[in-house]
Amino acid sequence: MTTPLPLDPEDSRRDFLRKLAAASLAAWAAPVPRAHGVEPVKHPVAKADACIVLWMGGGMAAPDTFDPKRYQPFEKGVSMSKILSTFPAIRTAVDNIQICQGLEQIASVMDRATLIRSAVQPDLGSILHSRHQYHWHTGYVPPQTVAAPHIGAWMSKVLGPRNPVMPAFINIGQRLEGHGESEELKAFTQGGFFGAEYGPMNLPFPGEAANAVRPPGGMTAGRFENRHAMYKRLIDRSPQRDYLSDYQQESMLRSMENAHRLLMSKERAAFDLALEPREKVAAYGESNFGQGCLLARRLVENGARFVEVTTEYVPFLHWDTHADGHSTLERMHREIDAPIAQLIRDLEERGLLDRTLVVLASEFSRDAMIEGVPGSAATDQATVAGDRLESPKHYGLHRHFTGGTSVVMFGGGMKKGFVYGETAPERPLVAVKDPVTIPDLHATIFTAMGISPKTAYDIEQRPFYATIDGKGVPVAGVVA
Amino acid sequence: MGVVRRDKGGIMRTLTGLILCAVPVVAAPPAADFAHEVVPILKKHCVECHSGAKKKAGFSMNTREEFMAGSENGPVAKAFESHGSRLVEVIGTSDKDERMPPKGEGLSAEEIATLTRWVDAGLPWEEGFAFQPAAWEPPLRPSRPELPPVVDGREHPVDRLLDAWMAEKRVARPEPLGDGAFLRRVTLDITGLLPTPEALAAFLADGAPDKRSRVIDALLADREAYAGHWISFWNDLLRNDYAGTGYIDGGRSQITGWLYEALLGNKPYDVFARELIAPTAGSEGFSRGIKWRGAVSAGQVVPVQFAQSVGQVFLGINLKCASCHDSFIDRWKLSDAYGLAAIYADQPLELHRCDVPTGKQATPAWLFPEIGQVDAKLPRDERLKQLAGLMTHPENGRFTRTIVNRVWHRLTGAGIVHPVDAMQTPPWHAGLLDWLASEFAATGYDLQKLIRLICTSQAYQSRAAVLAGEGTPEWRGPRARRMTAEQFVDAVWRLTGTAPAKADANVAPRAAAGGGGAGPGAAWVWSSDGVKEPHEAGQTIALRHRFTLAAVPEKAVAAVTCDNGFVLFVNGRKVAESGNWEQPVGLAELPLKVGENEIVAVATNGGSGPNPAGFWFEARLTSAKGESGVVRSGRGWEWTADLPDKDGRWVREPSKWLPAVAHARQGTWAAVNGTLAEILAGGGGGPVVRASLMKSDLLMRALGRPNREQIVSTRPAELTTLEAMDLNNGAILTGLLDRGATQILAKRAWTAAELTEWLYAGALSRKPTDEEREVAGELLGGSPTASSLADLLWAVCMLPEFQLVR
Repeated sequence: MTTPLPLDPEDSRRDFLRKLAAASLAAWAAPVPRAHGVEPVKHPVAKADACIVLWMGGGMAAPDTFDPKRYQPFEKGVSMSKILSTFPAIRTAVDNIQICQGLEQIASVMDRATLIRSAVQPDLGSILHSRHQYHWHTGYVPPQTVAAPHIGAWMSKVLGPRNPVMPAFINIGQRLEGHGESEELKAFTQGGFFGAEYGPMNLPFPGEAANAVRPPGGMTAGRFENRHAMYKRLIDRSPQRDYLSDYQQESMLRSMENAHRLLMSKERAAFDLALEPREKVAAYGESNFGQGCLLARRLVENGARFVEVTTEYVPFLHWDTHADGHSTLERMHREIDAPIAQLIRDLEERGLLDRTLVVLASEFSRDAMIEGVPGSAATDQATVAGDRLESPKHYGLHRHFTGGTSVVMFGGGMKKGFVYGETAPERPLVAVKDPVTIPDLHATIFTAMGISPKTAYDIEQRPFYATIDGKGVPVAGVVA
Repeated sequence: MGVVRRDKGGIMRTLTGLILCAVPVVAAPPAADFAHEVVPILKKHCVECHSGAKKKAGFSMNTREEFMAGSENGPVAKAFESHGSRLVEVIGTSDKDERMPPKGEGLSAEEIATLTRWVDAGLPWEEGFAFQPAAWEPPLRPSRPELPPVVDGREHPVDRLLDAWMAEKRVARPEPLGDGAFLRRVTLDITGLLPTPEALAAFLADGAPDKRSRVIDALLADREAYAGHWISFWNDLLRNDYAGTGYIDGGRSQITGWLYEALLGNKPYDVFARELIAPTAGSEGFSRGIKWRGAVSAGQVVPVQFAQSVGQVFLGINLKCASCHDSFIDRWKLSDAYGLAAIYADQPLELHRCDVPTGKQATPAWLFPEIGQVDAKLPRDERLKQLAGLMTHPENGRFTRTIVNRVWHRLTGAGIVHPVDAMQTPPWHAGLLDWLASEFAATGYDLQKLIRLICTSQAYQSRAAVLAGEGTPEWRGPRARRMTAEQFVDAVWRLTGTAPAKADANVAPRAAAGGGGAGPGAAWVWSSDGVKEPHEAGQTIALRHRFTLAAVPEKAVAAVTCDNGFVLFVNGRKVAESGNWEQPVGLAELPLKVGENEIVAVATNGGSGPNPAGFWFEARLTSAKGESGVVRSGRGWEWTADLPDKDGRWVREPSKWLPAVAHARQGTWAAVNGTLAEILAGGGGGPVVRASLMKSDLLMRALGRPNREQIVSTRPAELTTLEAMDLNNGAILTGLLDRGATQILAKRAWTAAELTEWLYAGALSRKPTDEEREVAGELLGGSPTASSLADLLWAVCMLPEFQLVR
């Protein structure tokens, strides 16, 4: 792996020019980036070795989850403008922190959390989920002239795997085929210009993850081993021995060997939820997300570097509530509450929480009334009829809102039982204190993981930064 | 930090100036020696940031002209005027923010005195001296170099040029390539397919000296095969795909039909380019780019995308940098990128620098006014036509050099200019590039002739170089190239007979290969109970048909499908299975015999609630005498709910067989009628559909087929570990090999040796060695089974020899 070299963005462009002359064909080959700059990068000291992103795909309404406001129960004829939260607030393990009813188990572990209530996103026009998800996951607003790497690909590229047989970047719970925006999701669920080597291992169904690391369906381990042995014997007996020293051939054989090693390694047991005690599986709940959290824990225990677990983004499902928001969120609360709390407790119990950064985030928040940020020209995507609440269908937070979003962080050197930032008590519920932008949030995550937000790699002879233009600044206030 | 700072130290500067002014000039200073005194000082302190491509604060002292042009803030020094000179001021000041160079110790008093003397001496400069050699500027106009003399009877122009180059560079001439390896390489390069064992045998047996050029001509003449391969190259380059971002809401449109036709008709490349730049209805998807919903940065609005795409695809010029600010790496400026964009824009286009509006309107302009310019006053469509004309102007040598370089790269593994999208890079053989480009123009911009020209050279027909790393792009012989995803998948489909029957790409249907005669006449059948009702989800039945043959047909072609899935047995041998009714299976052979024959199908309905179920089968039989017969699902077919074992046999004969019934609504499955007819007309087997015409899937992605969000001219050369895992246990490849093995075994009775022989010829275009035969024989065992054959197929397909084109 090339060592990334650091840069003052100001100096970077001039520095890499010097290197152009010496660039080899390898450096030019399209997707292979060149390490950047001339001095060794000054990466910060890592506070975490692994990172788990819990992705609330579809737009998690902060006022109905981690940032409760004035509660308005369902009441026929009530003015829509009175609705801020549709769930009452509950106490948590921390005196000054309240979150929404339905998240009781998470409430009990909030003393391990830093809760950012002031995350903000730019309003990208018609606020398409996949565009904002692309932005959150890569730090860049699409479209881009080069394929922007996913944040997990950055970890994979800069830090590499923690355990050589474990894929560094694992993506759990998101189907990339067969729904309305799957192409858009594919556009950022990838290694980008770093190449597929740094891209995700996709495990859309956590319960079937074991299949990804075992011999193909219906093949016994014995047959699988035998097939591999025969393959190697055929290589040894190939008359094309002259090519043995060819680098391309060598690299192909190396990758096949590495893959085989993982498929035969003891770590592959980490992918198999059937090996987990029954009570534990039950504690994480039946849902794909719950099982995904359990899988994430097992993978991190076995040396995974970056794992993302999603409630899954499918247009108009789950957190993407354009109607029936309240009842949908009752279900979403149930889906995430137990598994997240259990994940935190398990990591803690195993002594892993201190060195594992867990980040719960979403592409934006929601509001009962306002689309985007105040003043946005974006069109109304909700199906609210009229100013007064008439039907339960309209009870909930349905419109996309980018002015104030909650992010929860556990472990990884973050403060415990701490709230950062604040949104207004009345509509518009925008961040009124310490707003945190995507570049700064990413800088915080990267810094905790020991990656300078200014890290850059060259692509097409220009630098491409971990945070846009190398300008992300870690939020010092959340670090313990 | 520039020599001239945008300064907060205005007062300081004035003061310094005054102080300098106050120093009495005692006498004319001794002239400074430029070469021995001045250059070392400038080299030591200044040129790192102020020469060549690097121009801090816009100031370069690379040449005297540049020195005298000053910085973005004005002159740096005037001849004979050291007092008030910005140069002398910044090297002498004690203000840390002001001083140059900003880092380190700065200049000594003696060095400052030397430079001061130099200024006062009138800034003498050595004629022609530059700190760094001028950046290489690729020539615009075409040129036709003289061919070097023929050496060793190698008359081909490419060889004359390369032989002279190799002699000069003392590079060893690569060894010639053997016939089998040549046929494999050239077939993969022109058609993307492996040569069939029959084609290989015929080629090896051919003793004629011109057989190589004849086979090249034959391959090029198979336009459908050619288009099925090269469309992937163009799809990557033109960002065309059958699914992807932007298609969701009309922000992007395909050019598939236009492109496929262009390849089938070998449209001259100048016409091709003109139609992409000043588009027709079918080709406008390219210039429209990808429009995302919502706000995008100024550098990604459609006209700017147009400028970037046109620059990259046709000229190998990267305007992505210059779309945001004047490029730091080449000569292109913001105004150049916007000028090109403004040709496309249908309303005034404001220049944005780093996404900030500048208040200036872009003027439509083309990049090389030396050969003409567009008329900014004309309407957009007229401007685009002018641009198309300028791009393909005979004096625009960059247009032809860019494409011949891409094709050379494709066929030999490295560009003459490398990378192929950075045409500002000096070529390693300018003569070869120029000659190919001028020949290409002279022969009517004919892409097929260009491919033919390269493939007929001894250079192309030499053994692949064995390289320790990618190294220099210079010629060492052709390089091994990783099969594209589409080549790999086509190869597996072809070897195993598992190609899907229907393409995702909407391209003109191919001409029917055989005179199939009448259209298909079989009926969709199912069990007798509930034919009129939707059928239960998950219902599985067995269907049977028996018939008698007086002779074994010479030819038997069948098409079969079932909503939702089936396994088909003919005379107790499993011949096909599928779980997707929209992808009917074609069979080119059936294991039929004299006397009674039996067809058994295990058919399953899918879905989550009651829904229509139907099974469809038709076989066309031809006897040696040319008599024809047909076997169709319909009357005479029976069904039972008792299911056979996995070999299609019953331990105990089912107690009752009931007549199968034709579905009342035969039109339910009309969507596949065309495909079924094509299979039967086309002979049932063979690669009906090319991987390049299918949407990408997990297997193709694992093999490097890109998302076509960005222009892709080079695919990843290396297999990654995650990709290798997919090849080890991915469901798609596993399924193809399992299904393929079953079908291969169903064709006839094979011995292990025969299978090995057949597979090595088909996959590697050679005979297995004795050692290989032994290993394969061990794997297959005495009587090969579907699983042992699937394992051998896998092992052979995983060999680098298989996956590399060399």
